[in-house]
Amino acid sequence: MADVKHAEVTYEDIEEICEEFSNREGAVVQILQKVQEKYGYVPADALEFVGEVLEIPKSKMYGVLTFYSQFYQEPRGKFVLKVCVGTACHVRGAGLLVDKIKEELHIEPGENTEDMLFTLEPVACLGSCALAPMAMVQGTAYGKLSADKMVSLIRQFEEEAEKEEEPV
Amino acid sequence: MAKVTVNGIEVEVDPSYTILKAAEKAGISIPTFCYHPRMDPAGSCRICAVELEDSKRVVMSCVTPVADGMRVLTESPKIHDARKTNLELLLLHHPLDCPVCDCGGECPLQNMSFAYGATESRFESHRNDEAEDLKSDVLVFNANRCILCGKCVRICDEIQDVHAIGFINRGFDTIIGPPLGKKLDCEFCGDCLEVCPTGAITDHFVRYKFRPWQLEQHQTTCTYCASGCQMQVETENESIVRVTSKEGLGPNEGSICVVGRFGFNHVQTPQRFDTPYMRVEHRLVPSSWDEVLPELASRLNAIRRKGTDRVAGLLSSRVSLEDAYAFQTFFRRVLRSNMIDTGARYGFMNAAIPLVEATGTLRPLVDHEDLLKAKVILLVGADPVAESNITGLFLKRAARKNRAKLYVVDSEAITLSTRASDHIRIHPGGESLFVGVLSEEISSRGNLSAEWLTRKEELFKNWNVDPGVFQRLVNDLKSAETGIVVTGRKMFRNENASRSMINMMRLIGSLGWIEKEGCGILPIPETANDLGVLMMGATHEWLPGLLDARNESSRKQWENAWGTSLSYGPGGGLEQILQGIEEGRINALITIGENPIGHFPPGSRVREILGKLELIVALDMFQNELVDMAHFVLPASSSFERAGHFVSIEGFVQKSVSTMAHWGESLPDWEILEKISYAMGNPMGFDSSEKLMAEIVRFLPDLSPSTRNGEHFVGGTGDIHLVKPLDSCGFANASDVKGVGGLSLLKASGSTPHKANRESVSSRFRSWTEMSRPIMNATSGIPGEGEFIFSMSKSLFHSGKMTLQDPNLKKIQPEGKLRINRQTARKRKIKKGEKITLTSAHGRCSFVVEPSPMVSEFELVFPEHFADAQVLALFPPEMAFSPMTGTPTTHRIRVSLSTETIS
Ligand code: SF4
Ligand code: SF4
Ligand code: SF4
Ligand code: FES
Ligand code: FES
Repeated sequence: MADVKHAEVTYEDIEEICEEFSNREGAVVQILQKVQEKYGYVPADALEFVGEVLEIPKSKMYGVLTFYSQFYQEPRGKFVLKVCVGTACHVRGAGLLVDKIKEELHIEPGENTEDMLFTLEPVACLGSCALAPMAMVQGTAYGKLSADKMVSLIRQFEEEAEKEEEPV
Repeated sequence: MAKVTVNGIEVEVDPSYTILKAAEKAGISIPTFCYHPRMDPAGSCRICAVELEDSKRVVMSCVTPVADGMRVLTESPKIHDARKTNLELLLLHHPLDCPVCDCGGECPLQNMSFAYGATESRFESHRNDEAEDLKSDVLVFNANRCILCGKCVRICDEIQDVHAIGFINRGFDTIIGPPLGKKLDCEFCGDCLEVCPTGAITDHFVRYKFRPWQLEQHQTTCTYCASGCQMQVETENESIVRVTSKEGLGPNEGSICVVGRFGFNHVQTPQRFDTPYMRVEHRLVPSSWDEVLPELASRLNAIRRKGTDRVAGLLSSRVSLEDAYAFQTFFRRVLRSNMIDTGARYGFMNAAIPLVEATGTLRPLVDHEDLLKAKVILLVGADPVAESNITGLFLKRAARKNRAKLYVVDSEAITLSTRASDHIRIHPGGESLFVGVLSEEISSRGNLSAEWLTRKEELFKNWNVDPGVFQRLVNDLKSAETGIVVTGRKMFRNENASRSMINMMRLIGSLGWIEKEGCGILPIPETANDLGVLMMGATHEWLPGLLDARNESSRKQWENAWGTSLSYGPGGGLEQILQGIEEGRINALITIGENPIGHFPPGSRVREILGKLELIVALDMFQNELVDMAHFVLPASSSFERAGHFVSIEGFVQKSVSTMAHWGESLPDWEILEKISYAMGNPMGFDSSEKLMAEIVRFLPDLSPSTRNGEHFVGGTGDIHLVKPLDSCGFANASDVKGVGGLSLLKASGSTPHKANRESVSSRFRSWTEMSRPIMNATSGIPGEGEFIFSMSKSLFHSGKMTLQDPNLKKIQPEGKLRINRQTARKRKIKKGEKITLTSAHGRCSFVVEPSPMVSEFELVFPEHFADAQVLALFPPEMAFSPMTGTPTTHRIRVSLSTETIS
């Protein structure tokens, strides 16, 4: 796994987010969601700053953060490959998809690729069992996948990223 | 009142009582895990279940209030089963590694499981095998042993107000620990360790090094700060293993701070002097008492014969009453010298002199309990959490739970300012100015000249005081039912300190707080016995009992008491001592735990001046700059080894006991002085610390030991009998004293013995004339563009310089870092841990920086303990002293900052 590069967080940015929610203590979860939207995860600094702005101790902020599984404490790849390993997907070969990704990208579940392009994240049932085995990437569901289809999907994302990087 | 029957025993209790408290009153104890007497009830562990006889219901006794006529069973088959099942559930994931657990043997979980036969779990379970969190040097978290009672989190939140640990994850995976997987970063009070009913939190310093039942416990008084905590020093084979506290015990009620709990290891390190040393041809060579004493005695006698005030003495204010009493006896009676001073001269003297002059006593008007009752508290120029931790805890509680209005006046944010209703962030050094304006405002009762008002407006603008907040404070003070001013180190270490103190006295006088119960001022002494050594007359101003040392009739009184004539000279304090040495009028210096060189900049010539002495005798535990110059170095035993009494901030006179044998050949200070006096052919005649204390108490019965619970003892230690509370003011002017055959004085009165007697304080105060005008300038001023004010603070993790030798505390805070405002650091692109250089008009010094949101953008703050010669070189070499109190006056200096480093 690569050394992750952490986001630069400034106190002012966080202040701004908190202000959106009128610095309400009760809005901690929403604020953290906003933070995660902005940085892709909840950087430690951000957690601290939110605590400072709202005057909530760091230990309590961390309690909230770890209470909800939706929050991430580490930066994640541009493409998070959420591979469903729910029952339906499992019996239809989700395991093969996971193995293929591991082999192709040299990462373990929960890890990022060195270029921070991909994160492998096995998830529980995504509610589209009819499409099993399926995966969700950047909000789009990809159904009836096979190991090969997974590989071409990965290629497709790589190209997309390359294009974005090219100067206009 | 409600009548409750617990297991057939009837008790009458307040209806607000829980069943648990009622049972306690009936003398019946109910097992608990999550209950804690000082915290809000959680009612989560369910082990305290009891049965209501009438309804047969099972309820949690720690949260259920009593009702009149209630009949409770604390033991019944039903309860037994409920508890057993409960324990089994708690043990579900427990690793049952008691044999290797430091808690084993004193573990409530273990004990209760044994009692209820729940040694094995009926439930299918897997054992937790979460790795231990060993990142902190201080505490180890073992999640597997945790029963999630939450006491650690709650004590950190509710009592310490630090919030360093919390619940992490949820459900099955919940663990306790510091946030973000980081190393624990907190105040390290160890309260969580103390309350944890299992081995889930253990002491990293002594991990696997002891079994609790093999330790010998010594209940004693902590001798670091003036809180006067009661604690248990636990030893094995004459060495200290750990320090613990007992719930509810002492003025600290069971909490102790990091220094008290962990700062004991320096006294058992090989660096300590274990034998006397004598200088032979420029080298200090190890010697023995037998060899050293006659030699030293004859040299002291030779100097003494030259005249009075020939030998000077500097005493640490961390010593006991006994040591201080012996010190002044030795100087005044044996050496005929009044050239004596104490460590309080560097700070607390600025409070003590005005206090004694205005009120005649050093006993406080208010204590910690009063803080809890106060409606308004003005905290100015002090950081109680660091200076007197328990005072800090009470203030936290006053502000948080009792909703006292807390006004903080300080350039820095301190732990308590987050709890303040208002924090007036005056520019550095402006605190004295503030109290000047405030006292004028209040005591003028509205008759302020237009000129004054303009001046005030201008000052407030320049010094960053919001006039609106000021007005609110004025109104609150005037209308407060009860109010207290708390002040401390930062105020004392200010060039205008003594006048500020006068202004504060004037302020509380005008508010009527001198006479009003529950109101007053609470100055925080800088060490454990600032109050005591001064009451013992260890400084040139005062004889024991705070009698004027230069007043003929006071001198007579002590001559009568001691049955000898006193022929000491006029004497003087630190300033006069240095002058006298320089001019050759003083030929010898005896220091007890004091090193004047460490207090002044290297350019100040202190070293050169001391070089003129014929004889330097240092009583100390460790090497320092003065020891390097000394002709005799005499090994002093530490406060862990000797018994003695200390006067706490609240005025309690408490005993610190001997917990281990004297280190090597070391001896208590009083005993060393006694031995010298004997060798000089003029023995003082103190043959035990008990007898010494007995003499003190005989002459000054007011100083007989007293404790939080209001007991007051008369008679020296070892010969104690309880009597009615005595007069508390005690320390009085000569006129109060009836000198018949000694100083046994003081009329009995009904007031709380540890506090000052308001009546005598009031009569003295109302005839006090020195109502100085306010100070309207502060010379350190506001820094110019690109400049900062450099100052020093007391760290929570150290006490004086001695604890720098402590292996445990050194791990907790190994080095001094310069605190800089976080925004400023970012603007200047200075990162945590980087080195920067400060330049003043006098010198340059490099520092490792620590950006902090607490310090203001105008100041840079460094922990005083780490201030070595290089740091002190920033200050002007001229030694300046306050004309009123003789205290050194340079505490702040303008500096500029650069990111280059000097080699
Ligand atoms: S040692 Fe004290 S401050 Fe630190 S976590 Fe424990 S209770 Fe909190
Ligand atoms: S660590 Fe100890 S005090 Fe804290 S919740 Fe666990 S068992 Fe209770
Ligand atoms: S240093 Fe003060 S607060 Fe800390 S344990 Fe000792 S007496 Fe108590
Ligand atoms: S199991 Fe994969 S979507 Fe339901
Ligand atoms: S002690 Fe009563 S529920 Fe824990």
